Amino acid sequence: MIRTIKPKNARSKRALAKKEAKLVENTKTALFVPGATGNKLLHDAMCDLMALKKPEAKKFSKKNEIRPFEDASELEFFSEKNDTSLMVFSSHNKKRPNTLIFTRFFNHKVYDMIELSIQNNVKLLQDFKKLTFTIGLKPMFVFNGPAFDNHPVFQHLKSLFLDFYRGEETDLQDVAGLQHIIALSVGEIEDLNETKNLPLLHFRVYRLKTYKSGQKVPRVEIDEIGPRFDFKIGRRVTPAPEVEKDANQKPKQLEAKVKKNVSTDFMGDKVAQIHVGKQDLGKLQTRKMKGLKSKYDQDSDFDNESEDFMDEDIEYDAPQPKKQKV
Amino acid sequence: MSDEKEFKPVTVDKLIPNTFDLGNLATFDPNPLDNVKLRDESQKEQYLSSVTRDNVQLLINQILSLPVKTTTDTHGSSTGQNSTMTLIQLPEPTTQLPREKAIPKAKAPTKWEQFAARKGIKAKTKDGKMVYDEAKGEWVPKWGYKGKNKDLDDQWLVEVDDKVKNTEEELIDPRTLGRAERKRLIKKNELQHKRNMKNQS
Repeated sequence: MIRTIKPKNARSKRALAKKEAKLVENTKTALFVPGATGNKLLHDAMCDLMALKKPEAKKFSKKNEIRPFEDASELEFFSEKNDTSLMVFSSHNKKRPNTLIFTRFFNHKVYDMIELSIQNNVKLLQDFKKLTFTIGLKPMFVFNGPAFDNHPVFQHLKSLFLDFYRGEETDLQDVAGLQHIIALSVGEIEDLNETKNLPLLHFRVYRLKTYKSGQKVPRVEIDEIGPRFDFKIGRRVTPAPEVEKDANQKPKQLEAKVKKNVSTDFMGDKVAQIHVGKQDLGKLQTRKMKGLKSKYDQDSDFDNESEDFMDEDIEYDAPQPKKQKV
Repeated sequence: MSDEKEFKPVTVDKLIPNTFDLGNLATFDPNPLDNVKLRDESQKEQYLSSVTRDNVQLLINQILSLPVKTTTDTHGSSTGQNSTMTLIQLPEPTTQLPREKAIPKAKAPTKWEQFAARKGIKAKTKDGKMVYDEAKGEWVPKWGYKGKNKDLDDQWLVEVDDKVKNTEEELIDPRTLGRAERKRLIKKNELQHKRNMKNQS
């Protein structure tokens, strides 16, 4: 745990407020941490993955002697210190060459982790030498293959990459901002029970090109801009059920309120049912006449007639229950 | 591309229709990929990009059919010229993604808030920090620097309060008494604030 002290000035107070848990969360930021055994390929791969994530990305330059699957406490420290909830850690050894470990954090504790080994078929951004996209734009995602819907490992990968690259959550999207596509593909899994030899995950990034089609929607062509990776899936850590439940909760305050008795009919008109309170006809104001005043009521026999005529010019106030001031 | 026959089609046929998460600009293609083509190095890239192209076409068709909002806000230009922007209104994302941090808990009510709720006391409407000072003929702050609550401090003649009459405080300067009272209230408030903070954590 990092020691937190009471902020002494407005600037540090604002900085702490930014880190606090919120109903509508900040865009997740990513941290790229090189391991002690990294190599040039891993370094370049991390640079390219970071280029896609910019500007919500940070990169460490020093190597770190960490084994995330054995002890992730140091990564948790980095996550808390830098306020990041996504992390990529690189390591390379004989048994697991060229691996990137993608970790997600919840409340600065490890949420899930997956190890992806880069296979030979690599092409980096610098190898393509093509016009790329503007930084900070929301990418489009294409997931090819049924495994993303029904295989737990690939569901994890789908959730991970969506979470990693989707950027700012927004309800308005500029058409000109639709520039690049992240495509993840996985071949058919022959045996669903097999866990060792999963098919490779193909990571591709394309740029969108649109052509006239004679209709409203354009004809779409794509152009690969890189990076290109084929990932072999390695070890995996899944979230604990209670943590998963906490992390997937949606705040009740943000849920749209259901309006009662209001609906739209088949013409698109708003239809509502209105309930009017029952009218009390006893209190209905009729024509005002002196003789109808309640002091002249038959049953009020405590005041004699002579007095009645004397104070007829005094305005009469019906005794009303006094409203309590609130 | 002048002849209409030369245009390539914008529709894509799929055995199983795609699902979309338009809030995240994503599409999920449930049709299995051909493993033979994926293993063959010469065909692989072409095959992947052709499948992806079809899905992007479907995604773009879906995105462009969403409702559109046009704004005339100035954006990014220093010249201040208005330019219209066509923005697509995206629906809520449907894919459930984990939160970064837990949902913040509601603050525990302070002792006063508990009492007010019990008695049904509504919060006062805020009527600002300034009040009109009729003697000076200008607006002055209610408290703080040159505040209205310090009016008595610089008077040459101050009435002795009825409360302190016939007590040992009668001979003390009423200005210092007023000042001491203000300081006492500040201290009391700080104490209450501290207690509420302690109850919250």
